[in-house]
Amino acid sequence: MKARRDVYQAIADPTRRAIINMIAAEPHNVNAIAEKFDVSRQAISLHVKILIDCGLITITQRGRDRFCEAQLDQLSEVSAWVDQYRKHWETKLDTLESYLEKLKKQRYGKQKK
Amino acid sequence: MENKKNSTADRELRLSRKLNAPIDLVWEVWTGPEHIANWWGPDGFTNTIHKMDLTPGGEWDLVMHGPDGTNYKNKSIFREIVPHKKIVYEHITGPKFLATIEFREEGDQTFITWHMLFESAEEFIQTVKTFKADEGLKQNVERLNVYLSGMKTKTQR
Repeated sequence: MKARRDVYQAIADPTRRAIINMIAAEPHNVNAIAEKFDVSRQAISLHVKILIDCGLITITQRGRDRFCEAQLDQLSEVSAWVDQYRKHWETKLDTLESYLEKLKKQRYGKQKK
Repeated sequence: MENKKNSTADRELRLSRKLNAPIDLVWEVWTGPEHIANWWGPDGFTNTIHKMDLTPGGEWDLVMHGPDGTNYKNKSIFREIVPHKKIVYEHITGPKFLATIEFREEGDQTFITWHMLFESAEEFIQTVKTFKADEGLKQNVERLNVYLSGMKTKTQR
C-alpha cells in the first residue's frame, strides 16, 4: 500500500511543521535546514522528501545548491477544514439555543413574551 | 529557531455565544442528562447518557446514535465544576481534548464560551482530517441526490 501523501500528512509531524515555518520565511538548501535541527541529515532529507511528495516544497537548482521553497497554497485547504470542524461545534450551540427557547416557552408559557 | 513556541493556536478551538436565557436555565440544561440528550446533537443523532457524575473526577458516558444506526461512545472525566460559572471536562476517548465551558450572567442572558484544547497538534489534525473524510462522504451522498433529482426532472419532461 502506498503511503498517503497530502497536506495533512505533511503537517502531521512537528519537525516538518518547523521546516515549513523556516523556509516559508526564506528558501533554504537542505544542508542549511539540517543544521538547524538536532536530528540527523538523513532524517531531514526524508522529511524534505515527504514535503515534496505532499506538494508543500519545490526544489530549485541554483548553481550547485538545491533550494527548498515553500508552496503554501495547500495549507488553506487545512484551514478550510478546521473551519468546517468549528461549524460542527457551532451547530451544537445552535441546537442548545433553540432548545432553550423551547423550554422557556414551555415553562413561562404565554403570559409574557 | 526550532518549534519551541508555547502557543496552543494549532490545537485549539474557541467558540462563544450569547444565549437568550437566564443563567440558571442554561446551567440546568447543560448539567441535566435529560436535557443534554435533547440538544447534544449533531443533527439527526440521538443521545443516550449512561452516566453523568458532575463532580471533579466524575465520569460522563454519552453514546451518540447516528442516523444510520452507528453508535459513537464518548467518555469524559469532569475536572472542575463551578456552579453557574465553569465546567471543565477531559474527553478521554478519541479525539482527546480538554473542554472548558464558561458561563457569564448578563441580565436575562448568558454569555457562554466553549474552549477545546486538543492533546497535540497531531491529534487535532487527525480529528479535522477524519471529520473531512466524513463530511466528504456526506457531500458525496448529497451530490448523488442532486444528480438523481436532476435525472428525474429530465425523464419527466
